[in-house]
Amino acid sequence: MHSPELLKGTLQTIVLKVLKDRGRMYGYEITNCVRELSDSRLQLTEGALYPTLHKLEAEGFLKTETVMIGKRVRKYYSLTAEGRASTRERVSEFVDFIRTMSNVLQVELG
Amino acid sequence: MALSSEHIDFIIKDLNHRGIIIEEIEAEILDHVCSAVEDRMNQGERFQDAYDRVVCAFGQTRGLLDTQQKVLEAEHQNKPGRMIKNFITIGLRNVRKQGFYSFINITGLAVGLAACLVITLFIIDELSYDKYNTKADRIYRVNNEIKFAENYYHITSSSAPTAHALQQDYPEIEATVRFRSYGSYLVRPEIATESIKENRVIWTDSTFFRIFSVNVIQGDARTALAQPASIAISNSLAQKYFPNESALGQSLLLDEKYNAKITAVFEDMPRASHFHFDMLIAMVGDWPVAQEAQSTVFLSNNFQTYVLLKEGASSRALEEKFPGFLDKYVGPQIAQIFGKGFTMKQFEESGNKYQMTLMPLLDIHLYSDLKGELEANGSVTYVYLLTAVALFILTIACINFMNLSTARSSNRAKEVGVRKVMGSMRSHLVRQFLTESTLITLFAFVVAVGLAYLILPFFNDLALKQLEIPFQSPLFYIALLLGVFLVGLMAGLYPSFILSAFNPAQVLKGTLAKGSRSGMVRSSLVIFQFIISIFLIIGAITIQRQLTYIQNKKLGFEKNQVLVVHDAYALRPNVEVFKQAVKSIAGVENCTVSGFLPVENSDVSRNDNSFWKEGKTPSTENLVSIQDWRVDDEYVQTLGMKMKVGRSFSPEFPSDSDAVVLNEAAVAQFGLGENPIGQRIATFKAQRPDGSPDPTRLSTWTVIGVVENFHFSTMREGITALGLFLRRSDGFVSIRFQGKDTQSIINEVESAWKRLAPGKPFQYGFLDDDFGKMYANEQRLGKIFGLFAGLAILIACLGLFALTSFTAEQRTKEIGIRKVLGASVPSIVLLLSREFGKLILIAFLLAAPLAWYGVDWWLNRYTYKTEIGVGVYLIAGLTAFAVALITMGYQSIRAASNNPVKSLRSE
Repeated sequence: MHSPELLKGTLQTIVLKVLKDRGRMYGYEITNCVRELSDSRLQLTEGALYPTLHKLEAEGFLKTETVMIGKRVRKYYSLTAEGRASTRERVSEFVDFIRTMSNVLQVELG
Repeated sequence: MALSSEHIDFIIKDLNHRGIIIEEIEAEILDHVCSAVEDRMNQGERFQDAYDRVVCAFGQTRGLLDTQQKVLEAEHQNKPGRMIKNFITIGLRNVRKQGFYSFINITGLAVGLAACLVITLFIIDELSYDKYNTKADRIYRVNNEIKFAENYYHITSSSAPTAHALQQDYPEIEATVRFRSYGSYLVRPEIATESIKENRVIWTDSTFFRIFSVNVIQGDARTALAQPASIAISNSLAQKYFPNESALGQSLLLDEKYNAKITAVFEDMPRASHFHFDMLIAMVGDWPVAQEAQSTVFLSNNFQTYVLLKEGASSRALEEKFPGFLDKYVGPQIAQIFGKGFTMKQFEESGNKYQMTLMPLLDIHLYSDLKGELEANGSVTYVYLLTAVALFILTIACINFMNLSTARSSNRAKEVGVRKVMGSMRSHLVRQFLTESTLITLFAFVVAVGLAYLILPFFNDLALKQLEIPFQSPLFYIALLLGVFLVGLMAGLYPSFILSAFNPAQVLKGTLAKGSRSGMVRSSLVIFQFIISIFLIIGAITIQRQLTYIQNKKLGFEKNQVLVVHDAYALRPNVEVFKQAVKSIAGVENCTVSGFLPVENSDVSRNDNSFWKEGKTPSTENLVSIQDWRVDDEYVQTLGMKMKVGRSFSPEFPSDSDAVVLNEAAVAQFGLGENPIGQRIATFKAQRPDGSPDPTRLSTWTVIGVVENFHFSTMREGITALGLFLRRSDGFVSIRFQGKDTQSIINEVESAWKRLAPGKPFQYGFLDDDFGKMYANEQRLGKIFGLFAGLAILIACLGLFALTSFTAEQRTKEIGIRKVLGASVPSIVLLLSREFGKLILIAFLLAAPLAWYGVDWWLNRYTYKTEIGVGVYLIAGLTAFAVALITMGYQSIRAASNNPVKSLRSE
């Protein structure tokens, strides 16, 4: 499993990218999805995920809709147009970052 | 599989128990937990195990709460606006909900702020004097301070040749200008027949426009006033005499003897200037004043002299060269009179003083109160006093706010508790309360500007100003906004820290003593308010007392029932005829013609001269400078002065033309001893061609009587030596009359005037009015002080009113029980008033010594002052107490007379 420290700066990018690929999702679904994609090597903690979601929403990158599921309410998140643009930017920025890091650390990416 | 309803209820309850209570977050976490639990149960776990594992993944209770907190923060991090909006909404709700207290707060603050605003405008105006001059920082006035024997002068004027000599000797001086005032003139255009009296006339040099930034509208500033017999007039004067034509090049006739040509018309001088002239007369040519201006005598100081320094020149350095200047020019001329032995050095070594100083132009209005000011100046003392008063009033208003907020803290303690439990941080609460105080201040400011707008005309009347609220200036609004935040902060900071410090557990359990927490602080603040109020009341009473004292003091002459006709010289050559005509009017007792009156204003002549006792040498030790008044033989009787010994002038003694009547002060200064009658005093008789006194030709005067000391200047000064001489001077005709029908006497005097001085304006006044005008400053100060003292106590009482009503409200049940047990209404009123009564008593005890100090300081400026006894202090204390009692009484009686059934039933 990767250290949560490494995850910190990329959390927003991950959330945005996942939402871009899958459309609308709710919080628990996002944790599951990330776990699957990373072969269980990335585990989003709830304590980090929800503040990130609310922050992105407050900044206008995400929109939400709520659906009643029996007794409970499910809150779905999806990207806004602004969020979509920002996702593209952040992903390419991160790829750039990886490339730089590989140079700095003098390792070949597989 | 889906969770059962019971399971979901269990989870909701458990989450709530753990502290997840924000609805939106709760729903989301619930969904998350449920989904996770369902997944685990699908893998065969039991519900309880699955739930425990999921909660564990969150980090147990702490993790859950952390998540909630972080989500809240994340939401608000980038939306400060939302929080402020929230603060404002809640603030507005609170302001509305507590209408009564908000009203008291806003009214108190608004009245205080309005007072502050008005005072600030006043102070800004006072500080702006003479700033219109673009070269203001380089302009200085030459002051002279001269002291020898018993004589002391500190004057604004210098001798005629000083200006020229200064400019010649010191290259750092760029230009100089002189003023010579000769009072008012009767003016008419050449073609008109009616003259108009002009007061604001001055003789000056052609450099005037170079030094002072007075704009010339018509004519050339550089050449105006350069030619003999030329004048420059203000625009309003031009409009007055030449309404529909250009004034430039026209002629005006002054006093029927000077025909002057207008060479320039200038914009009216700004209000904030230490002089306001409507007419400038050129001091060149051969008119008498122009000749005087060309004199080379350094010994008579009649010209206000201003210098303009070159850029970068230091006034201090120049001042240091002045002793050399005096040695070079003044010393030799004094030596000519006193003999060759005289030097400036020896003069100063024997304790005398002759000093020339430079006063910066910008200091004149606030700091100069010397002999020979062009106009009455302001005073920096008043600026300080009023600033202090403004701050006092503002403080009182802010204290009201603080006291009401903390006193009512109990009402809001629950709110604070609930907010804190809901996760509100202390800083949020502080901000909430500060927003509320700022909101209230904002309302108060709006009301205050309105109030100030309404008050300003009255204040202007009182303070003789033309202040306006600068609605067009953006700076004004910026200052207002700054004021809002500053005052909001001042008033809100203390309560907000007190309120936000409550411990929610205690508050919600109800253990916090109701509103008593800051009792000490609150009491001290109330005491402070009343110290200020009592201090201001004592100040106002003192000023009033001193004014009454001055008005009623035995002056040594009778100021009532004397009609004074101005500009008697306009009657020439019929002055004597007029006097006889007036004397024949029924009701007129006596009548005298003289330019010298025992009051001070710009039209009244003053003339001093040096004499010595005959037989002594005229040296600096023996010279006595006395007021040398030219009067006629009915002067003493008409003005009601009393002869101490000897007699006054009489037409039966032709030798009286060489006689003098001295006052007691002069007799003492000359050292004439017990029997002054028949002794003689001497003075220089004539001047040499260059204008300096001729030591070989003397004239002597025989003392025929001594008049009791009478006041001829303000009570700030003592009575100095004075001599009356039987000589002609025709400034005023003073008429002592009897009987009630003043108007008919005036009418008859006027018809005599019209007959003997056709076309000349008939102007008159009463001696007691002129006397009163000498104290106009004090009267204004008294009224302004009284006004603000009243305001201060009003605001303080407003606060007291709210505090009492609050206490009464808090103690409703106690009062009810007391009444049921048999307490009477008066005893309850006493109970409620006692607490604040005590505070006022303490305030009085603290204010009294402070006030005593202040009163002593102010009265020390007067040579003749009233006694401020214990009575005044008691009156002030009792007034404060009475006003406070009335304020509290209303609330107390209302609370005490409530039906106890009503207050107790709801329990």
